[in-house]
Amino acid sequence: MRINVLFGGEAGQGSNILSHILGKTLIENGYFVFYSRDYQSIIRGGHNFNVLTFSNESVNSNDSKIDILVCLDKKTEEIHKKDLNENGIVLNETKPNMYFAGSIFKILNLDFQILEKQLKKLNKFEENLEEAKKGYEQEKRKLDILKVDKNDFYFMDGNQGISQGAIKSGLDIYYSYPITPATFISNELVKDENVLVLELESELAVINAVVGSSITGAKAMTGTSAGGFDLMTETLSLAGIAEIPLVVYFGQRPGPGTGTPTYTAQGDLNCAIYSGHGEFPKLVIAPGDPIEAQELTSHAFYFSQKYKIPSIILGDKHLGESFYTLSSEPNITSSEKTTSLKKYSGNEITEKGETTSNAEIVKSNFERRLKTIDSIKTDAENFEMFKVYGNKNSKNIIVGWGSTKGAILDSIKNLDVKFIQILYLEPFPEKIKQELEKVEKIILIENNSTGQLGELIAKKTGIFIEDKILRYDGRSFFADELEIEIRRKLK
Amino acid sequence: MIIPTWCIGCNNFQVLTALKMVVDRKNSAMVAGIGCHARIFDYIDLPGIHTLHGRVLPTCLGIKIGNPNLNVFGFSGDGDAYSEGMEHLIHAARYNSDINYIVHNNQVFALTVGQSTPTSEIGFKSKSTPLGNKLQPLNPIKIMLASGASFVARVSSDIKQIEYVLKEAMKHKGFSFIEVLMPCITFHNSNYKDKVYSLEETGHDKTNFYEAIKKADEFDYNDSTPLGVPQNTEYRGKIPMGIFYQKEKPVFEDQFEQLKKLKEKGISWKDITN
Repeated sequence: MRINVLFGGEAGQGSNILSHILGKTLIENGYFVFYSRDYQSIIRGGHNFNVLTFSNESVNSNDSKIDILVCLDKKTEEIHKKDLNENGIVLNETKPNMYFAGSIFKILNLDFQILEKQLKKLNKFEENLEEAKKGYEQEKRKLDILKVDKNDFYFMDGNQGISQGAIKSGLDIYYSYPITPATFISNELVKDENVLVLELESELAVINAVVGSSITGAKAMTGTSAGGFDLMTETLSLAGIAEIPLVVYFGQRPGPGTGTPTYTAQGDLNCAIYSGHGEFPKLVIAPGDPIEAQELTSHAFYFSQKYKIPSIILGDKHLGESFYTLSSEPNITSSEKTTSLKKYSGNEITEKGETTSNAEIVKSNFERRLKTIDSIKTDAENFEMFKVYGNKNSKNIIVGWGSTKGAILDSIKNLDVKFIQILYLEPFPEKIKQELEKVEKIILIENNSTGQLGELIAKKTGIFIEDKILRYDGRSFFADELEIEIRRKLK
Repeated sequence: MIIPTWCIGCNNFQVLTALKMVVDRKNSAMVAGIGCHARIFDYIDLPGIHTLHGRVLPTCLGIKIGNPNLNVFGFSGDGDAYSEGMEHLIHAARYNSDINYIVHNNQVFALTVGQSTPTSEIGFKSKSTPLGNKLQPLNPIKIMLASGASFVARVSSDIKQIEYVLKEAMKHKGFSFIEVLMPCITFHNSNYKDKVYSLEETGHDKTNFYEAIKKADEFDYNDSTPLGVPQNTEYRGKIPMGIFYQKEKPVFEDQFEQLKKLKEKGISWKDITN
């Protein structure tokens, strides 16, 4: 059973709050829930919608077809009616948003008291409650859903995952400059009084303040996206030569340029791994869900502190702003504060810290950095650099990374495939070569137009992947559509 | 001991000498940008970073936030401060973090062997302006005053003057902007010796913002006296030197509970285990 509920309306009409109320209620009842947000770069008006998918089994993505369409405005019905399932239900009365909350609770046979409890946490309780009651009483339709047992599940989005991971890794200072979809990280961190969250004048200021704090020994981090990351890259190069630990969360969105800034993409894999001029060690890792977001953020701190390098956590808008149902706690890797105040330099320097252009010293400095690259590679093998799912003996391989994990997992449940999720992009798990040899089919799935992971795999293993499923319209994959695409490739 | 690579007679030596006279070596950090000025980082035993072009001030801010108990000194040239780093300069004045910022202004990009900077005078012939610079120079003193800087000074490259202003800046709580107006003996050999006069000796009221603006207007970084300065002023064609403006304003570090605690306890984030 997979039920998809779409809440649509103008910006500010309440799609977010409705999906969150329903999501929390379903999770409390023991269902698995996933919801994603589709919104435009506007504050009022336009068309925004959330799709909430729930099931009695694990769910990590949405489907293209809708079972319940909640229309907070007329446009929602016009746009999404074509996606309605055969017996789909449309809620299109001209009513305040909490009326629909009541209706949905009735349709899904959910306990009204839970709704009342949730409304208490919001403003205008009396008003909302009255509307919700009306919706509940007036609604006559029903959708039969499978009963499930209660569980200890909890709800989290990817940005909360990154933030929690940073807090659990001992983050001291987070510098930021607002940019979608990374801004929410600072909104989350500011709730922790042990962390100092500061907004400065630009990404240039932010990343250089990270450097300044880091050389005093503090654990400092920033998060950014798109052009904001471009602005930071010169300083990543500085950190590379000066051997300064720093952590950057890079939340991808569709470029080039401003692109479609509130949508999702995986177009910056190359941008991250090749960021910064010159040759220097760095770490680039990509979580695929909020548990991995926490774990990999702790890896980012571990490697940056231990090897005094820049670490980049590569996420995206879909991972960051979608809510996932979690059933376990993350496995956090702890890290020391390794840095202390001394003489650092962006120039090649002697052992005493003096600027030099001496050929022998320059060469030996390069060799030290190459050695660091090797050490990181060896150490990374102690971590899960890639994960394998599905039929582990299958000759049909799917390769992906980052936020496509959810849709891939949901789409392969009934297929004879093995899914390899790559978490470490730099250093790269060259051992996957063994997984890709002597197989019948390899399908690359990415949220970009050129198959950047495929290029990286070719570079690192010599294996070229011909079959690609690429989506580059700013939207994430739907599980049902992806299953059809994979079946087509397997034929 | 590293042997300085500044030209013999370079005015950067005066800044270095003055710094050595006043700095508390045990409890200070420094940041230098890119340009001739930045070699100062190699010539004094202070921790910190020889950073990127233009990024001295956010790096200083990061150090001060990382350990608010440190005395932080930033060094830039005019290219570093007024070209590549202008965005940060204005905001540093606004934040008023307790940082001492020294700009070695020789009105030329010297390490790249002679191009015009934002404070080069109109008519200056350089490799980038062979027909003479056509563009009006910035007046950094006015920019700093307008941006809310709480300590604004300009001095000649004279050890005693630099020493005096540095000491005052270190006593000042908040962002201290000190411009050292100096010739580059190789690429911009300006001679201001006969034109300068001391604000301290002429009874300038440094607590008066409008007086400070007036004084800043007396020299617009062109060799000639700017338009708009009254004909009969006794200072016509002169360059005021000293502290233009000083005012107590809320300090950045005092606005955040976490940093106040670090200051009270005399520790840095490094001393905290999370």
